[in-house]
Amino acid sequence: MRQFRDGVFSMTGREWSLLAACVLAIIVFSVASPYYATSGNAGTVLRNSIELLLIGLGMMLLLAMGGIDVSVGVVMGLAAIGVGRALGAGVDPVLTAFVGPLTGALLGLVAATVIVLGRVPAIVGTLGLLGVYRTAIFVLLGGQWLSGLPTGLTVLLGTTILGLPIAAYVIALAYLAVWVALRRTPFGLHLLAIGNSEEKARLSGIPVVKVRFATFIISGALTGLAATFYVANYRNVEMTVGSTLALDAIAAVVLGGTSILGGKCSLVGTVLGVLLLRILQNGLLLVGVPSLWQPVVTGGLLIGVLSFEVLSNRLSLLQFRWAGK
Amino acid sequence: MTAAFLVARGIAKRFGALTALSDVDLEIRPGEVLALLGDNGAGKSTFIKILAGAHPPSDGELIVEGMPVAFSSPKDAASSGIATIFQELALSENLSISENVFLGRELKRSVLGVPFLRRAEMRRRVDSLLKELDAHISDPEAPVGSLSGGQRQAVAICRALNLNAKLVIMDEPTAALAVAETRKVLALTRRLAERGCAVVLISHNISEVFEVADRIVVFRRGRKVAERLRAETDPEEIVSFITGAHPGVRALEKTN
Repeated sequence: MRQFRDGVFSMTGREWSLLAACVLAIIVFSVASPYYATSGNAGTVLRNSIELLLIGLGMMLLLAMGGIDVSVGVVMGLAAIGVGRALGAGVDPVLTAFVGPLTGALLGLVAATVIVLGRVPAIVGTLGLLGVYRTAIFVLLGGQWLSGLPTGLTVLLGTTILGLPIAAYVIALAYLAVWVALRRTPFGLHLLAIGNSEEKARLSGIPVVKVRFATFIISGALTGLAATFYVANYRNVEMTVGSTLALDAIAAVVLGGTSILGGKCSLVGTVLGVLLLRILQNGLLLVGVPSLWQPVVTGGLLIGVLSFEVLSNRLSLLQFRWAGK
Repeated sequence: MTAAFLVARGIAKRFGALTALSDVDLEIRPGEVLALLGDNGAGKSTFIKILAGAHPPSDGELIVEGMPVAFSSPKDAASSGIATIFQELALSENLSISENVFLGRELKRSVLGVPFLRRAEMRRRVDSLLKELDAHISDPEAPVGSLSGGQRQAVAICRALNLNAKLVIMDEPTAALAVAETRKVLALTRRLAERGCAVVLISHNISEVFEVADRIVVFRRGRKVAERLRAETDPEEIVSFITGAHPGVRALEKTN
């Protein structure tokens, strides 16, 4: 009997309960608001989930490795400025689509250098970078929004092939790539082994430094890809871009069953965690809760899930050690 | 008698002014369980760390299969066929048995440049290793975190065998185990030797040593004070070597 379900769409109890929670939330909101159960709103929720899903996949890999990145929001912001500037300068939309992931991967390399080579705990290193990048965004934008960008990228990602927009293929490809890396290659085993214990992983002959660098770069590239979608979706980049993204991503991934202590993660759980979060945020908005309250809901969910896991002995507080990685 | 797999000659280790080990001569032969006994601080751990490549010796030489070697890391020792199973096993509890056995040396096939794991093949090999060792573990896909201490030792032994280890050093493998588990690990140790491996067993438990070892070496205050075939000695004599009550040890320690 296989104890580790690792198929492309493997679900365990956690994933089924999340799915049930999504369905329940949809039913409740449909009853509460006449605007909720419309095909237009379903499209809005899905569109709003794209960036968070891509960033969530990267965050899942980092958490599973015992790392974390609290700077994903500003990394996406910087990559979005890159994409926006390229688009505004009249660069071919196909090329601009690659600006995002490349910028993100580069910033992932910077984060890895600070954290792995500088031996700074991931949470502290990325918090430091968050401060630096937030100012960088302000300087780059010169205090103004990047707005009214050309529609080239929007048209490109919206072009349909066999009835589905290119965007859907890109997202499916990103998901599949993460699944293959995690469940079908040595890299995935090494990442999970490091998340379990970095010292044991080193003793087992795993190239720990290489795996940690690769994971930060992959996560950065996924965050940069999210920036491409962000620009295509909104065609502007504001000063406060991505300010709640790190919270949203960590909450969605932890909801999805990935261990905050590392060593364990769920791909389907991450997708469902993202959907649940976005369904709740959208639904609360439609029943009249001001958007100001969204981070409260997200933060509450994150704390609630973690403390539930500790209280139900799935996690031991004594194991809280990821700050060291 | 078979040729020695490893010969240590005049091995010494000094940490600054402290001499942890001096002038140790030892031969380790394939198919034999060699027990290292001694009180705390007798130099056993220092000696196996030298064998495992974790410490370089200050003096003396190591010869593996007739060739002098100088290990600068545990990796060097591993590539000479020496595997060390530390007390705190370097296993990943969240991964399966077969993943642990192959961790860091996975079997893979490249498809369009992507190294895909050959899970079925790894599983098959681990299955046959477990059967060969009679380890009583039915499912190589079970997570190591669900195994008992003795079963984890078996997984660590499988890992060593899979690395083609010719010398397996076991550092107090039964220290944290219940009685029934201890029996199983001792049986595994025997089987390892029967497969032609050289085994070095560090232990504090004399009855255990008499049960499983072919040869017994006693360390005391950084020196090798005795080497006996199991058949030619008894627990009392060994204890007297460990405590220093044996006349031979007294004579040796007086001359220095």
